[in-house]
Amino acid sequence: MSFQHLESILTNVRAEYADLRYEIKKEVQFVFSGPELTQISTSTTDGYVLRVLKNGGFSNVVFTEAHDGPAALTKAEENAQLISRFIAEPVRLAETEVIRDTYAPHLEEDPRAIALEEKLELTRRYNQIPLEREKIVTTQIQYLELVREKWFINTEGTRIREDLVTTRLGGTITSQEGGLTQTVRVGRGGSSGFALLRNQEALFEEKTALALDLLQAEPVTGGTYSVILNPNLAGVFTHEAFGHFSEADLIEDSPSMLEKLRLGTAIGHPDLTILDDPTQPAQLGFYKYDDEGVACRPVSLITQGVLTGRLHSRRTAARFGEPLTGHAVAEDYRFGPLIRMGTIFIQPGQTPFDQLLAQLGDGLYLIGALGGQTSGENFTFGAEYGFVIKNGRRREMIRDINMSGNLYQTLKHIEGIGNDLELSQLGGCGKGQTNIRSCHGGPHILVRDIVIGGR
Amino acid sequence: MEALLEKALQSAPQAEIYQQKLQSDQIQFENGRLKEIETKMQSGVSLRIIKEGCLGFAYTKNLRTPEDLVREARDSLLGRVEAPFDFPADPLPVALRTLDPHLMELSNTNLVEEGQRICEYLNSGLQAQVNVSIQRQDQEIRLLNSRGLNQSLRNTFYFINASLHFPGSQAGLEQHLSGQGFEIFPEKKLASLKELFRKSVKDTRPRPGKMKVLFFPETLYALIWRIQAAANGKNVYEKTSPLLNKLETPLLDPKLTLYDDPLKDAQPMARGWDDEGTPCRRLSIIDGGVLKNFYYDLFYAAKLKRPPGGQGFKSGLWGGETVALKPKPTLEYLYLQPGDSSLEGLIRSIDRGLLVAGVLGAHSGNILNGDFSFGLAPAVYVEKGEILGRVKEAMAAGNIYETLKEVVALEDRAHPTYGGTFPALLLDRINVAF
Repeated sequence: MSFQHLESILTNVRAEYADLRYEIKKEVQFVFSGPELTQISTSTTDGYVLRVLKNGGFSNVVFTEAHDGPAALTKAEENAQLISRFIAEPVRLAETEVIRDTYAPHLEEDPRAIALEEKLELTRRYNQIPLEREKIVTTQIQYLELVREKWFINTEGTRIREDLVTTRLGGTITSQEGGLTQTVRVGRGGSSGFALLRNQEALFEEKTALALDLLQAEPVTGGTYSVILNPNLAGVFTHEAFGHFSEADLIEDSPSMLEKLRLGTAIGHPDLTILDDPTQPAQLGFYKYDDEGVACRPVSLITQGVLTGRLHSRRTAARFGEPLTGHAVAEDYRFGPLIRMGTIFIQPGQTPFDQLLAQLGDGLYLIGALGGQTSGENFTFGAEYGFVIKNGRRREMIRDINMSGNLYQTLKHIEGIGNDLELSQLGGCGKGQTNIRSCHGGPHILVRDIVIGGR
Repeated sequence: MEALLEKALQSAPQAEIYQQKLQSDQIQFENGRLKEIETKMQSGVSLRIIKEGCLGFAYTKNLRTPEDLVREARDSLLGRVEAPFDFPADPLPVALRTLDPHLMELSNTNLVEEGQRICEYLNSGLQAQVNVSIQRQDQEIRLLNSRGLNQSLRNTFYFINASLHFPGSQAGLEQHLSGQGFEIFPEKKLASLKELFRKSVKDTRPRPGKMKVLFFPETLYALIWRIQAAANGKNVYEKTSPLLNKLETPLLDPKLTLYDDPLKDAQPMARGWDDEGTPCRRLSIIDGGVLKNFYYDLFYAAKLKRPPGGQGFKSGLWGGETVALKPKPTLEYLYLQPGDSSLEGLIRSIDRGLLVAGVLGAHSGNILNGDFSFGLAPAVYVEKGEILGRVKEAMAAGNIYETLKEVVALEDRAHPTYGGTFPALLLDRINVAF
């Protein structure tokens, strides 16, 4: 692929602005279901995403084959014109620097250079750890290596070549006793190369033990509790409860949410500071340029409890009159970019874990994320397991924990912020498209008045 | 494609090619205004080969050099993924109506005008955020294999969703419509959406505890997901399903009958063969509360020594790229048999309870065990048959093998919705926390 080829597709564009992203995606993937390898695929594929801004209407067309370029261009121009007839205010794009750069991330062992046999052997070895134990009935362990080789050009002169390399190894371990089945997540992954998947035997041992321990745990009793969330859960909480509403495209058409989420609004506890920083090196969420050619930068979303920033694309930055952040990211060559979190986390505070437990007194200590969802004001997310805490002391283990809260209240209820920090290695946000590099984290946090579902 | 098959057969004695072509337009209105139009022109090919009992797989969206695809599929044989089956021979043809040729003749302007009409109707006399999304697609699928199977189909799909959102939230009430061709969204449906919204917009905070819960059709997927997981041939083979040895035993309330029927072409995307070429048929999962069947693709049917029933589809939990996915046991065409109460009658019959119009976190919790713990967004509180308003931060939890043993009633109509065609379902004594 060459920039010249892409330029030839854009040559005939009649519009204020256009950009074209071409990607080659290389994927190695295999899955063990229990002891058996049940899926394997090594594939290479590619495609184009074209965006056109014409008469204030902005539209994108996704196409697979180069010869569809002219038809795609016509369609994009037609769609943009149609939008311009109905739109309330014409779309403008925030100004950004013209960039000419080629960027390949630093990798500790490039997965592309490692033989498939070695990847299979490593995964098989980890998968064997739980399977050797009694009461472990199955596993689902996947190796995924995904390389996006991206070319981006726009009519302003930007030309960017960037590679994103994601590797991950993990899945689930399932234990069973009597009629009870318990599933635990396990995995490692990131953007910094194959090396981080090595030497993970201890992690698989630890998660196997957890799957077995959970068979003895009790289902949680429903009700309202004060809870301590471990860093992984604090990350999911930050992502679901708040992060999505710092994405300008999610709230821009909701007048009532815009009103409640004005910059300068006191939204959280005065000790709470939340950042999104895709520039954090070697983290899962790392990238240099987003999918509209803007260099990403750290954004302080909440500073000491006050809303201070938002994540933007060029379109929303102009609409909101706020600074560009470089957060317009696509899943791959099949999608136009959406605004996505990069690496979102709560800034660590001063409180050691023991002190948080004492501060909690009676409540729950919840550990490990099981996915979440938000409907705007309300959010729900699951914990893998937890412990009942009485008088600051750890008591019985609990399971089947799903909790819910309210965006406008729960952030004010964060009453303790630990002095540790951990960022997630496995992503997977599904806002219309899947973002496997969605990274989140934080310290241990203490939150009051969380509703826990239970029988 | 024949040339690709020939090339693949130079590397392996069995080969299968799945080809997809797709054109789609997606139109999005937010807060009553046109926001986005996205057009997709997509194609793709996947190749499976079987050699010495092992399965190889590769895909590409853009088939430029067939040799590369064959090489990648051959490389993947290294994993020695077992292929306990042969690709099937050509199925007997079934005539299905899957195409409305007029759908793609409409311009995007026509669709935008329909969206605009709905926005205006919903906006008038109501303080609410109105969102409308319209999608249409035209898809061609071709499946070839080395046993002479050579099938193709073309289907069209039209979907429109209209929603009203509560202030300060993205939770809302919705109505949708799907079919093979364009259809004007009936005003009656829109009027009932507005009416329900008006009644539920006020905040209420009832006392928590056990109560009746009416799941609207668009939320039923969250409960049925648990049954699907437990009846999936994969989980039966791995012995993680709680339903092993439960075939032909009463499991749920006798009012519940659930089946999969890809052949019903009154619904869009009907299929006569699955993504592996196995002929489709109606498959009963639950009949009068009794568990009747598990379901399989070729792999798990062979592993469990059962005949495959045509439930092998390239589907992903979170969407995913069709050609990139491996077929797996999937119930794509579920129907829950309606009961005999009107929706209004069901609501009137509730002494104290919730209407659930959206669930959060259906994917969390111990799905295989049948456990659920959903955030309800929105949940609407009903007392003595009257809607009093909506409840924030409600959660409902339970286990389907307990809660679905006591069904109060089912709505007298089933609606095509997420995950299947379902009526509303009224349950009793569900534990609700606020």
